[in-house]
Amino acid sequence: MHDDPFEDLAGDVAVERSITLPANPDSVWEHLTDGNLLGDWMGDPIEIEPRPGGSITMTPDDGPLVWGTVEEVEPGRRLQWSWRTDDGLPTQVEIDLEPADDGMTSLTVRETLLPWRITGLPPQWADEAYPRVFLSAAA
Amino acid sequence: MDPHNVFAALADPTRLEVLNRLASDGPATATELSASLPISRQAVTKHLAALDAAGLVERHPSGREVRYTFDPGPLGDVVKWAGNVGDTWDRRLDRLSRSIE
Repeated sequence: MHDDPFEDLAGDVAVERSITLPANPDSVWEHLTDGNLLGDWMGDPIEIEPRPGGSITMTPDDGPLVWGTVEEVEPGRRLQWSWRTDDGLPTQVEIDLEPADDGMTSLTVRETLLPWRITGLPPQWADEAYPRVFLSAAA
Repeated sequence: MDPHNVFAALADPTRLEVLNRLASDGPATATELSASLPISRQAVTKHLAALDAAGLVERHPSGREVRYTFDPGPLGDVVKWAGNVGDTWDRRLDRLSRSIE
């Protein structure tokens, strides 16, 4: 029995992408934690304090400010933050790095809708049936 | 459509399974659905009516029966969110890959 029946559900409403990068995890890590490098590939200016509890803000040219908090920092391995716009959906971003063959790095990013936003949902949505509806609908 | 109606329609596990069948296997009649579910045709029909009221299925009369199609429209906000977020990360990772090469 979970304390929060919506915890599982929130994990279902997520987008995940993976890519293999031609650099070692330490090099990739710089691109995650150096604000200038991070902003370059994220596509908008970003300021990040890469420590748990540090702030992260993204300032898009053509959209609202996105602001949040860095939650997990494991150099060369894992970065996690949560953020939101003033009137948008709060999400959690997890980026995991793993060494791959030939000195390359496998990067997986997962962005998840945070639970408190959807606590109006019934716990049945946490059932395994739910993601199938969701995936079919998203196809 | 009030999202809460949609969530209420999906709150029943059997009803959710009916919707999953339509979403996974395509359009079906109540008779076809009841053949593959442990409930009567009458019970399936009741669940389909609730799903119809929430806008989650479309009704297509087919001879003496009605064929039902999954309509993801009411899930639109969630679907739209996932689509936008996925596209955005595709572009970001593409830029990251090119900047590292």
